[in-house]
Parts: sequence; C-alpha cells; structure tokens
Amino acid sequence: MLPVIVRFRIHQAQRRPLGFYFPIILVWIVLAALLIVLFPVALLTALLTWRRGPGAALLLVFPLLTAVLWRLSGLQIETRNDESELLIDFT
Amino acid sequence: MNEEKRKILDMLAQGKITVDEADKLLAAVGAQAPEPPADGAPRRAWKYLRVQVEPGPGSEKGDRVNIRVPFKLIRAGLKFAAFVPKHAQGQVNEALREKGIDVDLAKITPEDLEDLVSNLDDLTVDVDGKDKVRIFCE
Repeated sequence: MLPVIVRFRIHQAQRRPLGFYFPIILVWIVLAALLIVLFPVALLTALLTWRRGPGAALLLVFPLLTAVLWRLSGLQIETRNDESELLIDFT
Repeated sequence: MNEEKRKILDMLAQGKITVDEADKLLAAVGAQAPEPPADGAPRRAWKYLRVQVEPGPGSEKGDRVNIRVPFKLIRAGLKFAAFVPKHAQGQVNEALREKGIDVDLAKITPEDLEDLVSNLDDLTVDVDGKDKVRIFCE
C-alpha cells in the first residue's frame, strides 16, 4: 500500500526534540504529475532508441518506480548516538 | 516434529492412551498439518528484514542503527537491477569477488532471495570489535 504519512523524529543534543507527521501523499501527487508530464518524452526517447539503446527499459521505469513507492509502507530507519537521534517511519 | 505430535507420543509413553488411539490422533494431526516444503526446511512468511547495529566495546560514539525494510520493497527493488549498466554490473561483481563473495548480481532472482531469507534466521556479525551488526527477519 502506498504510504500516505511519514513520521519523523529528530533530536539533537541541547535542542528540543522535534517529532512530526508529514503527509507524503502530497509528494506522490507532485511526482505523479511529473511522471505524466515526462511520459511523452520518455515514450519518444524509447521509440527512438528501441533498437540500440535503453528503449523498452526506459518505459519499464514507470511501473517499476510505482511498484517500489507502493511498497515503501513499513520502511523504518532509525539512527541514534549520544548526541542525536533520527527516525523516519513510513506508515 | 511438531508440538502436537510430541504431546501424543508423551501421552502414549505415559500409558494415558493406547497405541490405536495414538495412531488415530497422529493421523488426525497429520491431516491438519500443512505439507512441509520439499527440502524439509520450515518456511515462514517473513514480512520485514531487520538490520540492527549496536555499539560494541570499541565504539566511540555509541552509534545505533535500526532499519526495518519490507520484503515486498526488496523484491520490487531487485527488479531495478536490470537497469544497472552491464559494465557497472561487471565492476560490482568484481569488487564482490575480491571480498570473497562470488555472486553475479544480474542473476539474482526473487527465488534466490526467498532461499536466502528462508535460511537467514538470525545472523550476527562483529565488525572490527567496534560494532555488532545483527540481521534477522520478522
């Protein structure tokens, strides 16, 4: 499922901890618009380079990218040391 | 042997049930139990790959890393390997070979990943005595 919210937690020594939820769905909307705009260019490039070049692989980028973004849900990255802490959680 | 079969055999050993009863119970349990995979190894549907880095005795800053990656994401990401240029794949493979890992990145399939995961219960790697890296599935 496409993650719609990302949880951030940032903490640095001698600073107030900062935690917030970011609606990443806004990024997906912008990205989708960008992909739609780029699609005719990619299609033309793919056709021109079909025999010798990226060709079909270029067109595969769109579904593969969508597949990766769709499966980001559940990804969690947390780093911590004595001075700082960072959490990124795709929910 | 699963827990239910063990209990039945225990009951038989203790004389609580007869051989015929044990036979019937074992048959019933066998009918309910799912078929094990061909290689005999139990397989679980892991959802996440976890990588944890814990500071070791030689660690200076006490860095800790905790990463949870969904397997679906790894499988989807593997398909991007097809986009890595051939000459770059050769360089990566060569670098891996120098480190003693004889793997052809272009030939890694989702099935290979499943095999790897099914055998990766809990792996702990000590990095130069500074950090401990633990890789496991959940």
